[in-house]
Amino acid sequence: MYEIGRVCVKIAGRDAGKKCLIIDTINKSHVLIDGQTRRRKCNVKHLEPLGQVLKVTKNAPRPEVIRLFKGLKIEIKETKPKKKTEKPKRLRKKKEKPVKKAPVKKAPEKKVKEVKAVKPETKPAPPKPKAEEKK
Amino acid sequence: MPRPKHRSRSLRRVQKKMPGGKTRQVYAMRKPKVHKCAKCGVELKGIPRFMPNKAKNAPRTKKRVERAYGGFICASCAREKFKQEARLG
Repeated sequence: MYEIGRVCVKIAGRDAGKKCLIIDTINKSHVLIDGQTRRRKCNVKHLEPLGQVLKVTKNAPRPEVIRLFKGLKIEIKETKPKKKTEKPKRLRKKKEKPVKKAPVKKAPEKKVKEVKAVKPETKPAPPKPKAEEKK
Repeated sequence: MPRPKHRSRSLRRVQKKMPGGKTRQVYAMRKPKVHKCAKCGVELKGIPRFMPNKAKNAPRTKKRVERAYGGFICASCAREKFKQEARLG
């Protein structure tokens, strides 16, 4: 029943309710599907077969599947593939150990005797001329 | 005697530890009921019991299952529904 080319409806998972086409049979219970759903491996328990069987080559590429679905009047929206980016890694915050600085021995400063600034000798202001004697 | 507004049982009573170390009775809103399948009545999985104020700001992906009819009917009922739809055409 689940041969290559069989149109099915997915009944489980996030693609449930969408139509797909069997492209390849992997083993008794698993098949490769493509169509309205994502291209993926699928358990036959998660599929409900429909009456239609299309002519498809094994492992048909995505554009061919889209073309076949157009014949069934089912349009598949193509989404732009996302750019691959690296998964953000959670890193533990490392505690930075406080770096102990080796105490630097300071060379003992030589005590320099402070020389008292000698005030320049200032000559005492010349005495004011006495007021002229009263005549 | 509790305050008149606290005498009704619409608010639930919670024992809470206060910062001082003593336990004290606090009045809190009741949690919303568990979401149930519209078809069979089974409790739905993957849908948290958000308080209304939290549900408002929570992203849509956290409030329902990522499936057609997700958050409305359970997985097994959905499977039956998809099968029927496929068979009927």
